[in-house]
Amino acid sequence: MKKNIAFIWVMIFSTMILAGCWSKKELNELAIVSALGIDKTEEGYLVSAQIINPSEIAGKSRSGRPETVTFRKSGKTIMDALKKISMDSPRKGYMAHLREVVFGDKMAREGIKDALDILARQPEMRSDFYLTVAKGSTAYDILNVTTALERVPANKLFTTLEQSEKVWAPTKTVTLDELINSAVSKGKEPVLMGVYVYGDPESGSHFTNIQDISPSSGLRIDSIGVFKKDKLLGWLNEDESIGFNYITDNVTSTEETVSCAGGELAISTIRSKTKVHGKIQGGAPRIEIHVHSEGNVGEAACNIDLTKPESIKELEKKYKEEIKKRMEASIKTVQEEYKSDIFGFGDVIHRAEPKAWKRLEHNWDQEFSNLNVTFHVTAKIRRLGSITKSIQAEIGE
Amino acid sequence: MKTRVPKSINQLLKNKESKKLQIQKQSETQQSSQNKDPKDNNLSSDLNKNLDHIKKTLGNSSDIVSREFHAGRNAEIKIGVIYTDGLTDSSSVQEFILETLMVSIRNARLDEDEFHSDSLLEVIKTDSLPVGEIKEISQFQKLLFHLLSGDTILLIDGFHKGFALGFRKWADRGVQEPSSQTVVRGPKDGFTETLRTNTSLLRRKIKDPNLWIETKQIGKKTQTDVSIVYLKGVANDKTVKEVKDRLDCIKIDGILESGYIEELIQDDTYTPFPTVFNTERPDVAAAALLEGRIAILVDGTPFVLIVPALFVHFFQSSEDYYQRADVATLIRALRYFAFFLALITPSAYVAVTTFHQEMLPTGLLISLAAQREGVPFPAIVEAMLMEITFEILREAGVRMPRAVGSAISIVGALVIGQAAVEAGIVSSAMVIVVSITAISSFVAPAFNMAISIRMLRFVFMILAGTFGLFGMIIGLIIMVLHLNSLRSFGIPYLAPFAPFIIQDQKDSIIRLPHWILFSRPRLISQIDMDREDTPPPSPPLGDNKSAGSMFDKLKKSKRVMRD
Repeated sequence: MKKNIAFIWVMIFSTMILAGCWSKKELNELAIVSALGIDKTEEGYLVSAQIINPSEIAGKSRSGRPETVTFRKSGKTIMDALKKISMDSPRKGYMAHLREVVFGDKMAREGIKDALDILARQPEMRSDFYLTVAKGSTAYDILNVTTALERVPANKLFTTLEQSEKVWAPTKTVTLDELINSAVSKGKEPVLMGVYVYGDPESGSHFTNIQDISPSSGLRIDSIGVFKKDKLLGWLNEDESIGFNYITDNVTSTEETVSCAGGELAISTIRSKTKVHGKIQGGAPRIEIHVHSEGNVGEAACNIDLTKPESIKELEKKYKEEIKKRMEASIKTVQEEYKSDIFGFGDVIHRAEPKAWKRLEHNWDQEFSNLNVTFHVTAKIRRLGSITKSIQAEIGE
Repeated sequence: MKTRVPKSINQLLKNKESKKLQIQKQSETQQSSQNKDPKDNNLSSDLNKNLDHIKKTLGNSSDIVSREFHAGRNAEIKIGVIYTDGLTDSSSVQEFILETLMVSIRNARLDEDEFHSDSLLEVIKTDSLPVGEIKEISQFQKLLFHLLSGDTILLIDGFHKGFALGFRKWADRGVQEPSSQTVVRGPKDGFTETLRTNTSLLRRKIKDPNLWIETKQIGKKTQTDVSIVYLKGVANDKTVKEVKDRLDCIKIDGILESGYIEELIQDDTYTPFPTVFNTERPDVAAAALLEGRIAILVDGTPFVLIVPALFVHFFQSSEDYYQRADVATLIRALRYFAFFLALITPSAYVAVTTFHQEMLPTGLLISLAAQREGVPFPAIVEAMLMEITFEILREAGVRMPRAVGSAISIVGALVIGQAAVEAGIVSSAMVIVVSITAISSFVAPAFNMAISIRMLRFVFMILAGTFGLFGMIIGLIIMVLHLNSLRSFGIPYLAPFAPFIIQDQKDSIIRLPHWILFSRPRLISQIDMDREDTPPPSPPLGDNKSAGSMFDKLKKSKRVMRD
């Protein structure tokens, strides 16, 4: 008995010692990949990886080297290219802290399904990064620009997208799960945010770019790109993007500008709620969109007396019309130009009328482009801000 | 060949057994030689013979003082006084024995014949010895014990008996503030090395006739007084019996500190967790007695043992009961939190930074990676290095002479803090981790629990270094299983969590107000459960009906809970 216990102890200790930190990864042996850019080439894929140089970001003594390094390799598959990056990088690529995946324009138009597979399959990757499309350029260009303020360009993109979505209606962030779900679903098509390099991409890659007080080149997020399955069809403009986000209930706060007596008035939307109802009427699917939006007066650059209830009523009406106009524009463009159900109306019909959906499913693209959509918008002005009368009205010009 | 090996082993075993037998026989003969001759053990009637025998037995030790003198009307009674210098109050001996005997027997109303009869002893005892503690002795063994305990021995020529007179007095430290378990609010007196002082401190706290103190001598050579103190009728009789039985089992030459007793009576030796509580504070001991626990006082040490000791007891400070309940609860919760911090912070750091980097926020990861840039060791080695350095510093801090204290602290602060980081040997995050661990381990009010955390921390670090979080979780599971298997004098160690006792939660992680602590811990006493019946404080009733109904409700709920 004693012998057995001793034997068990020896076994336990030897497993602990012989395991010898099996599969350990020391922090200073990791190349933390912050962004992946995927482009399509003739032979396969061109993958660029933006790798963080931690000591330049958080270290005590900085040597003046760039905070991130971008390595680029091509391969038959994405995995192939990724592994080849180890020929350039002294450290093992570590994907768990990926912030951003950028698809090249060409790649997005030809289809991103292969990229989605590897992104979803790799267990190392967390699915909390955002996916974007390099509008009109390669993904490599996007990853090759230095950014001011944020030291890591991928982080810049990530945080810009995140906070912009909260305060500016056209922005839409897309994570991997969302993208895959809508690419696979029949009643919903994916969208991705477009990103582009303003200024000269060549000079943007130099360190001197961010030494200017207003950098001549940098990264900027644009409007929403419409996909069909996994292929990019085209882009919405700003108004249409706003309409899209209103319809999909993705507006947290934004600005609406309405005209008023001899000028413009800005209304800050503080909350907005959208409900989409679907039904079958006379054999044809119908969509009803109910939007309830509330806003504050943000800026009154016109001669208006906000103390009067009538002028508020007037404003609310204009506010309502503005939202409605944008949604209509958005739906019109998508229905006529792209014929891709990015709003997820198919899913709404599916939920409301499962039996009818079975019939509509096969020919949904056609049905979608002929879909009858009605809008019911209610809009309220809640607060006027610290002053009531506009300064213009006070001055009396 | 094959057959020879077991043979030789057998032979060895046989030899061993035979040796054992021999030793047994020897000891038996020794014992019998001691007990064989009752004449030898009994006092002789010849005073000189007795004194010679004592001196011979004690090897003419220089601290044994003996004095012979003559008393009686015609100085015909030969009396011998013998005591141990330094343990006896010699001025009292002079005043109350020598003086009184020399004078009073001369004046005693005794007939001539009575001088030689047994009544002389009676007369001396009742008339002539103004001493409180007096014991008759007739055997050498007892005599020597009393002599060496500090009693003064009085022998009279012609009698087979003598007296042991209590004039004990020796250098004493006096009641001082305890150096461990200090409190901000609460009594500042501490136990001392003298058993009598310690029992008096307990008596002063609990003036109940049921506070029973049973004393016995343990240690063949040291003959150390060990007292079992308990509240009769509150303490569980079975536990008291168990304590006595376990103490009776102790066969040892000497008890120098209560730690000897602790190790000899604890339920389980092979555990990092203490199953016997010790304290230097009389108020802690008194509180334990009131809960129905049993205190074991050992002469020669200020540390009093308390059994049964459960896991929760090591997180209770006496101050918890002197502070307001909400403050006490907060601080107690903090202690449990600190316990886990001290236990797993370094291992969690090692596990996360070497195996589970995806668990860190990106910003933190980059910052940690930047710090580890250029550190030559793996995180586990780094952690071990720093922890061991810290343990060495701590041990040095405890044992070093006071005079070099500042030198150690300067070196420690420099080595463990700045220099190691600046030299790039360890990362500054690791220094933070080690510091947090160190500070947290000092939070535990019981020092022996803090030590067990120190030990386990290294085990967890190895587990984290080899298997990451999986290893740590497995380690924690094993630890909890082990804690569940422990018993302290029959009481499950993790009570009142496992087994879960709802009414005892009132004084576990939380400490509810005193008026809710109306019953004793359920598993410990099991006899007298009621502690108090104070109504909860409420605003004066008057015509405020809502207050009155509140009071009734609470009282009712109290009743229900008790039932």
